Amino acid sequence: MTNPAPDLSVADVTKRFGGLVAVSNVSLSIRGGRIHGLIGPNGAGKSTMISLISGALRPTSGQITFAGADLRRLHPASIAQLGVARTFQQAAPLLGLSVMENVTAGMHLHYRSGIASVVFRLPNMRREASAFAAASKQLLERVGLADAAEAQAGTLTFGKLRFLEIARAMAMRPRIMLLDEPAAGLNQPESERLAGILRGLRDEGIGMLLVDHDVPFVFDLCDEVTVMDSGRVIAAGDPDSVYADPVVREAYLGSANEAV
Amino acid sequence: MVDFARRPVEMAVLVLIVAGLIAVPFGGSRLAVYSLTITALYAIVVISLNLLLGLAGQASFAQTTFMAIGGYGSALLTTRLRLDPWLALMLAAVGASLFACIIGVALWRLRGHYLSMATFALALGTYSFANAAAWLTNGTIGISGIPPLEIGGVTLDDALSFYILSWGCCGIVLILALLLANSHIGRAWRALATSPEIAASLGIDVPRYRLLVLVIAAVIASVSGSLYVEFTSFAGPDLYDINIVITLFLMLFVGGRGSTVGPIVGAGFLIIVPQMISGLERYQNLVFFTLLLVVILVRPSGLFGAADDTIPLRTLLPNWILLPGFRR
Repeated sequence: MTNPAPDLSVADVTKRFGGLVAVSNVSLSIRGGRIHGLIGPNGAGKSTMISLISGALRPTSGQITFAGADLRRLHPASIAQLGVARTFQQAAPLLGLSVMENVTAGMHLHYRSGIASVVFRLPNMRREASAFAAASKQLLERVGLADAAEAQAGTLTFGKLRFLEIARAMAMRPRIMLLDEPAAGLNQPESERLAGILRGLRDEGIGMLLVDHDVPFVFDLCDEVTVMDSGRVIAAGDPDSVYADPVVREAYLGSANEAV
Repeated sequence: MVDFARRPVEMAVLVLIVAGLIAVPFGGSRLAVYSLTITALYAIVVISLNLLLGLAGQASFAQTTFMAIGGYGSALLTTRLRLDPWLALMLAAVGASLFACIIGVALWRLRGHYLSMATFALALGTYSFANAAAWLTNGTIGISGIPPLEIGGVTLDDALSFYILSWGCCGIVLILALLLANSHIGRAWRALATSPEIAASLGIDVPRYRLLVLVIAAVIASVSGSLYVEFTSFAGPDLYDINIVITLFLMLFVGGRGSTVGPIVGAGFLIIVPQMISGLERYQNLVFFTLLLVVILVRPSGLFGAADDTIPLRTLLPNWILLPGFRR
């Protein structure tokens, strides 16, 4: 493992929407080089957690810190600049941009050349543009989309959009990735390929929060699992003990018992 | 505004336009040279609107406000303070960029229709102000006797030299727009046009990029406004009437949002076509707006719009109108 990311810690976070408590006193930490699974039934507050960490929503109370920064005070763009990337539950490509441009857009925060370099086509800008284009190509190869590089993002199939979303987040060279149901809608070979990519990222030292419905996928991949129900944490720990926890089996896995 | 390599049709059209523009002074009438000069000056503003709306998705109606800052700025600085016209043009552009920053900070939290409405009010206010503030703008009479521009001792007071100057400026602005559009800055604008939320999640500072496109578009519109009053040596409120804003939008929508040659073709369409059919006299408007409607119905994203969404005319007409062979 190379140079693992610092921990991102969520402490005692609560989020209320009017009278509704979407997230209640949740604590968890995302460690560098580890995948933290977050599961729970619909409405458990999983996606809300991703929005809270990424700055799209602000917690009502509690602490969220990463690398010495208090994320509660920061805008989404600043949190992204700190190295926290997210994906969206509904795969959200930048329509009208090509597949390749979507990935290059993910590198935006690493561009150093300013408007003058762009207007006068200075050598530093051209070097940067071609280096990042090459890096985008590599990322597309890594997620298996190299053939579709020039296609419009809007023309990709659902499964391919999921991989584009992952590639775009990887392009940010993040230290923490928040993945909102990346395997939803993928078939078996695709989700195995995704698992391989995520393991590779873990080995590079990236810390991940993996929200998903697919219980075998999460338990197979994660180093740590937190289970939420109705906004609360009902179990947390290593996958084996969480899996064996009777509270979890009753609240969440009960219905999935036969399938697992 | 994508790579030419991917849009061979646009490239061919651009070559034709350039060839035509070179030929006109040799064979064309004085009216043709005059109309094409006006076309160039409008095309410059439409290119700025294309950056705002076609690229960054910001439907701002404030472009006439910035044209007015350029126009009145040049008029006042040259006639009252006797400044050099080029210096006046530059100072007016600086003024436009400062005003754009103020507008940006004040209105830029507004999105979509709210932004359009607020900037529309600004455009209306600009026209009213130009009419009412007679102490500054000379009201409806306007400011005349604006001295011409000079380049290297040559005074640009004839139609041909101004024709060359305005198309030269249009070319520079087009190249500038293309360079920006194809850079990471243009990509950030396109990203925030698709979704500010996704753009922000990628670390794009959305308010900053919105302000940047507003300021760049304002400077371009101001320069065009300055050149216009230098060309006609007159500045008056009617140059910034609300129907001018609507014309600018029509030019962009006919030419094609997000395209390279679209703004030039659109500006040409709305300026040249009415003159070509002026022989129709009282039917001129009817014929022109019918033509406009057909273009917009057949090509909703504009003649050179990014999306290829041509709708065959026959699908728009009722079946009984069509000849038997064309019926559905």
